[in-house]
Formats: sequence, structure tokens, C-alpha cells
Amino acid sequence: MTDHPLVRPHAQVHFGVFFQGVNHTTIWSDPESGSQTDFASFERVVRTAERGLFDAFFLGEGLRLRESRGRLHDLDVVGRPDAVTQLAALAAVTERIGLVATQNTTYNDPADLARRLQSLDVLSGGRAAWNVVTTDNAWTGANFRRGGYLDHAERYERAAAVLRTARAIWDAFPDAGDDVSRVEVAGSALRTPADVAIDPTTPRSPQGHPVIFQAGDSPAGRDFAAAHADVIFSAHGSVLDDALAFAADVRRRVVAAGRPEDDLKIFPGTSIIVGDTPADAEEKARWVRSQQVTPATALSIVGNVWGEDLSGYDPDGPLPAHDPVVEELGGERGSATTGARTREIAQKWRAISEAEGLSIRQLVIRNSGERGFVGTPSTVAEELTRWVRTGAVDGFNITPWIVPSGLDDIVDRVVPELQERGAYRTAYEGTTLREHVGLREPLTRRAAAADVEAPAA
Amino acid sequence: MTTPFFIGLDVDGAGAHPAAAVASGLVPAELVSGTRLARAVRQAENAGVTFVTFTDALLPAAPGAASSARLESVTRAAFVSRTTTAVGLVPQAPTTYPEPFHLAAQLASLDIAAAGRGGWLAGVTRTPETAQAYGRGPVADVEREARDVVQVVRDLWDTWEDDAVIRDVATGRYVDRDRIHYPEFEGESFSVKGPLITPRPPQGQLVVVAAAGDVAPSVRDERLVDVTLVGGADVATAVAAAEAARAGSPRAGVDLEVVLDGADRTAAERLAALDAAVPAGARSPWGTGALRYEGHAAGLVTLLEGLAQAGVDGVRLLPAVLDEDLPVLARDVLPALRAARLTAAPQPGATLRDSLGLARPANRYDARDAVAVA
Ligand SMILES: Cc1cc2nc3c(=O)[nH]c(=O)nc-3n(C[C@H](O)[C@H](O)[C@H](O)COP(=O)(O)O)c2cc1C
Repeated sequence: MTDHPLVRPHAQVHFGVFFQGVNHTTIWSDPESGSQTDFASFERVVRTAERGLFDAFFLGEGLRLRESRGRLHDLDVVGRPDAVTQLAALAAVTERIGLVATQNTTYNDPADLARRLQSLDVLSGGRAAWNVVTTDNAWTGANFRRGGYLDHAERYERAAAVLRTARAIWDAFPDAGDDVSRVEVAGSALRTPADVAIDPTTPRSPQGHPVIFQAGDSPAGRDFAAAHADVIFSAHGSVLDDALAFAADVRRRVVAAGRPEDDLKIFPGTSIIVGDTPADAEEKARWVRSQQVTPATALSIVGNVWGEDLSGYDPDGPLPAHDPVVEELGGERGSATTGARTREIAQKWRAISEAEGLSIRQLVIRNSGERGFVGTPSTVAEELTRWVRTGAVDGFNITPWIVPSGLDDIVDRVVPELQERGAYRTAYEGTTLREHVGLREPLTRRAAAADVEAPAA
Repeated sequence: MTTPFFIGLDVDGAGAHPAAAVASGLVPAELVSGTRLARAVRQAENAGVTFVTFTDALLPAAPGAASSARLESVTRAAFVSRTTTAVGLVPQAPTTYPEPFHLAAQLASLDIAAAGRGGWLAGVTRTPETAQAYGRGPVADVEREARDVVQVVRDLWDTWEDDAVIRDVATGRYVDRDRIHYPEFEGESFSVKGPLITPRPPQGQLVVVAAAGDVAPSVRDERLVDVTLVGGADVATAVAAAEAARAGSPRAGVDLEVVLDGADRTAAERLAALDAAVPAGARSPWGTGALRYEGHAAGLVTLLEGLAQAGVDGVRLLPAVLDEDLPVLARDVLPALRAARLTAAPQPGATLRDSLGLARPANRYDARDAVAVA
């Protein structure tokens, strides 16, 4: 392993928790696994996270149920609540933890969306965030008045316009006095049939307005985050070299956008598995992977790449000998990888499984086994600290492998180890999410702020 | 057993009178604070109110005025879902411009968080300014649009059968795809594929409340509205309107604006002061066609008893100023109605449907139900 300098020797580890609403990482089949829908499950997870002094509790969004080749995908956890509504209820049973709602910009109107997010921010006392996503498929559009109407590039253009409009709506309300400004945006910027004009009603929260997260990985997505977001929710949370390369890339983009390089915080999604000994932890991790990838799930994932129903195949046998029947992924809709080249994936997978002698299921387990941290509480704490102090990340957005108990050993065992190392807070120092994450003033309110450095020449 | 007379109460902001915020002297941050909201709803629950409504509109009552501060209603209702245990929670959400798919998920999520106490006051928007806020042209026929939106929201609430989550370890299936349905709704101005992203709410269908005339009759032979609210310049008109509304919905109640005598001012004096304080340019005048009561608490008790005797199912009270009128309602009006066995406080754990005497509907897509009925 390369030794990386600890460029931020006093940096602290930050945690968020990603309550996955639709996924195959949450092991629903385990007897310990509770309801994925009952409010009590969400409440237990958020309370545990708050006990563990986490920055934030995070909900994703997907506006159409996943399908495999035209039929509902039936193997994974599915059926999530509307994020803002659920977080508003959770705001009433928590005091400090941040509440992050993933909301897409393609199928929401800024008038509604900005108001709902700001309502959450005000009711929670300044703890809300908006994870801006663009929903990269037209198929979701069938659930909405507008239909599937924007391609990839246009989605980011609209995203920027929606975010600008939302900020204008939030900033229209004065800190004091009675004059609320009217917000007007050309319809062409928002891709609406007519021009948009709004008189806002939502006052500012203690943190001004919701913190902005962004999740997206393409160059356009990274540039969007660099220009507009406070936190980027990345997928680079398993391999340190990869995380460092990602950090260097986004920081370069942040500086190019005229912001200080530490202005955008990096929180990759990851998972943490701890055991009493390193061997314990490894064995538990192996067990977790094998539970996540059931025989049916393995066949479904491979079948998606091959573009056909492989449920008749033996999951403990080899990959299909023939090439995929489709050019591009698309059979499984609603997952992040749609659009990749199937033949390339198939060739790579075949080479790995032949070299390592892996069955279909073993291969899928191997592919999904690259994520996260495995070890004793002490070795994991050591590693997480190293990640933030080398500057690879600012925090981690943890996906528990079981709900609702999946954070217990992280809060009870890893957090104290981090605290002993001086790498984790021992109490919330502020009341707002902006304060927990260590963010500057909202971007739109910085004109007079002294801490904005001039862009690097 | 007959269903008790229901008491709805609007808990929006400072009160229903357009000068309530100004008269209360609340700054915007206080006006919309979660603490204040939770306190008002708890007070209503303790007083035995059947359900609270959260009146809402996207645009301010007086454009440009900070005293028009207001938070979105479903978010408000969700917030208090965990600070209460018995009272029904009925946000007003419009049918005219928002996405029906989002509304269906938001309201289903409210019902889940509230353990079956959710409702929906389905509103319509007649101002062209709201169309402009969405960057759209005005909808000409808002009642027809309301019908389509209520219809598709109801369809979406049924898209998951109650037992769609099977968690079948043997086959690895989390859901039974045969118990999740695509409504493929085709309305007159939009279509929705489905299914919903959120499972069927605890009540099966949230209680849909609407003002008489806001939702056009369905082209399908289904009752779209559970509780219709009517107005009326006098009691006889209101009673007749409620009677007429029952043809289209199982329950009909009267919207009733109330201004009660205070400790040191009569209702008439209070109202005169409020009317004089209405901000310039206010969009919604006091007196929107609801029945009105001004006076002392005992007179209101008599009026409510009279409405019940005339066959009206309940009322929704619109207090002029929440901080002044709610304490009087809680102390002098609601206990008297309960003592007379006219009303009953909702029980912790009861759904709003239970409190209103409405059955939990069968799922429209459940083939097994259809067989059982045939
Ligand atoms: C870590 C991560 C999490 C994401 N979570 C969601 C989500 O919850 N809902 C959603 O619609 N899209 C989600 N996305 C998708 C992105 O918003 C975006 O639409 C997609 O990545 C395509 O954009 P890109 O090409 O810039 O990556 C996520 C993406 C990443 C990288």
C-alpha cells in the first residue's frame, strides 16, 4: 500500500447514514432484520445515529419501481417513503442530526420543491439538506405530467436552473423587515412552457437555507457539484488511491469554479463491518456478502448484463458461454449502471471468473465485495482516520447491511475508538447541519464574507 | 352505534382571519416555528378535536409581506405526526398544478408516519398567479382537473396490495410482483403509469376531504370524496348544502368561521379590530362563504348542537385567531359537547377513518376481493 502524507493531521471523521430504500445490500432475509417500511425502523436508525453524533441521516429517491425486462424487480428491498415527508416526521423525534432528502430536479417544479425543502429546514431548526440528483432516465417520466423529456446534458442544465431558482426563493425572504422579493426566471432557463414568477412564503432557517449535496459521477456531474454543492456524495469509498484521485479531481474543479478548495466536502458511500478479531471481521464480511447476493440476485445481476432471463442457470456454475444478446444495459431499469457496454463487462467478468475459478454467484459476490471497511473497531478507526487525514474524504456516508440494528456496533464500538484518537467529536458543537459539517455561509450570501479566497490564478 | 359529530379545526398559522398574524404580533420565525405548531396541535388533540386541517397555498395571502410566512402543509402535518397520537392530520394540498404522483407518495408517507391518521384536503387553485409560479398556462377547468388528480392519487394508493411484501426467503423474493399494479391512468390533461414508490398506506386510502363543488363528479362510478365541507350564509342554507353533499360523499360537514368573546373584548370588538388591520393587497378575505359565528362560547355550543340535530355530520372550525379562540374552544365549547355525548375524542391508536366511522376500503386491484364480492 502506498504511504500517503497526512496533509490534514487534525482532520476529524464525519459520519452520515444512508438509509437505503431500494437495494440488495440490506439483508432483509435475516431473522434480525426488521420492517423496511415501518416508521419505527427509521426512528431507531436515526436515533442511533444521533447518539453516535452523526452529521446526517440520508434518504435516497427513485420515482419508478425498478424493473427487469419489463417486469417488476422482486428480489430487493423496495417501497420507500417520500423523503421530505419522512424527514419532517423524523425531525420531530430528533434534535441535532442533519436530515438529507434526495430530490431530483427533472420531475420537480422549483416552486414546490424549494418550499418543501425550506419547510423541512425551518421545522427542523436548520438541519435540512437537499441531495440534488437528475434522474438519468426517461422511463421515470411516465409517472409525471411532462413525461421523459430531457436528455443527460439538458438534465444538468435544468438542474442548475432549478437550484438557482430555489436559492433565489430562499433568499427572497428578509432576515428582518417585511419586504419579500418576487422571484422571476425565464421559462427557457427552466425548460418550462411559460416564464416563472413566484412570491415566496418560506422564511429563513437558522442555517439560512438547506445545505446542498450532490450525487453524480460524470464530468458534468462533478462540475455541477464543484460549482454549486456543499457536499458531494461520491461512490469512491473503498480504495484509498481511487478516493485520493477523485478528491484531487473534484478539488481542481472547485478551484476552477472560483471557490476555496476545501469548500466542497467529500462524503463517499461506504459500509463498515467490525468483528472482535481481524479473522472474525473477515468471516462476518464473507457471510454478509453471501447473504446480500442470494442465488436469485446473482442470476438477476448477470442476466441483466446478458439481456436475457438466466433464472434457469445454475448460480454455482459458470457464466453463460455465449455473448450478451443486447448491446447496452437497459433491461434492468432504475439502477445506476444503465447505458454501460454489456460486451465489455461480460468479457471482463469472464476473464476474472476463469482466472480465479469463480461460479456466477461467487463472481457477483466478488464484484460487490470491494466496498467498505472490514476489521476490528480499532483497525477500522485507524483506517477511517487515515482516509480523512490524507485528505481523501471529509466523511463517510454509511449504508448499514441490516435495518434497524446495523449502526449499533459502529456507534458503540467504532465511534469511541475514533474519539480516543481525537478524530471524532465528543458532542455536537452546533445545532445546524451546516455547523456539523463545518461549512461556510451559503454560496449566495458570501459577497460580504471575509473567508472567501480569490480563485487561484 | 351512530358516529359522533366530528369536530375539525384549522390550525394554519396565526388563525383564519387575514389579519391574524399581524394582530398576534408574531414575527415570521415564530409564526412558522415547529414548537408553536406542535403546541397548537397538541392543544387541539387534548381538547378532543377529531382532526386538524392545515390550510395552505403556494402563494402568500399578501404578496411581498413577511406576515404571510407559511410552510408547506404536508410537511407540517408530518412533523406533528410524531408529537400526537390520536388526532387526525389533514393537510390542504392542491390538485391543480402539482404532480399527482408526488402528492400520492407524500400523503401515503404521512399516513405511515401518523399510523393511519392522515387525510387530504384536496384543494383547487383558481388564481392565474399560481400557474405562473409553475411556468404553465392556467388550467381552465379546475374541477375536472381535481377529479382526475384525486382519481389517480386514489388509484396509486391501491397499487400495492396490503400483503405485497412477502419476504419469501426460499425463493429470494422480497415482494410478490403479482400484488403490485400499474394503473396506467389516462386523464384529460395528463397520464400516470405507476405503481407508487410507497406501499399502501395503513388506512388503505387516506380520508379525502374537499369543499363542495371543487371536485367534479367522477367519470368512473366511484366516490372520490369521503368528507365534503359546505358553506352557507345562514344555518338553513348550510344544512341544506350538507344534505345535498351527502349524495356524493359519505360524510358532509359545515365550514364554520368563529370569533369568540375574549376576556376583555367581545367578539364584535375583536372582529372590528381585525378587519381594520387587514394588510393591503390581501388575497383571501375573511368570509369565503363559510358559515360564521361571532359571540360567546355557550352560543356556539347551542349552534353546534343544532347542526347535529339537523343531520349535519360535523364541522370544521376556522378560528379567527388561533391563540385567542382555541383556548376558549378547549375550555368552554368542546367539553360541553362531549358532556352532551354529541362528540367523542378520538382514541389513541384509532385511525382517522375509525374516528369518522368510515370503513377501510378494499383494494380496487385485489382480484381475490373481487371474487369474494361477486
Ligand atoms: C453515490 C450516488 C448516489 C446516487 N443516489 C441517487 C438517488 O438516490 N436517486 C437518484 O435518482 N439518483 C441517484 N444518483 C444518480 C445521479 O443523480 C445521476 O442521475 C447519475 O449518477 C447520472 O449522472 P452522472 O452521469 O453525472 O453520474 C446517485 C449517484 C451517485 C454517484
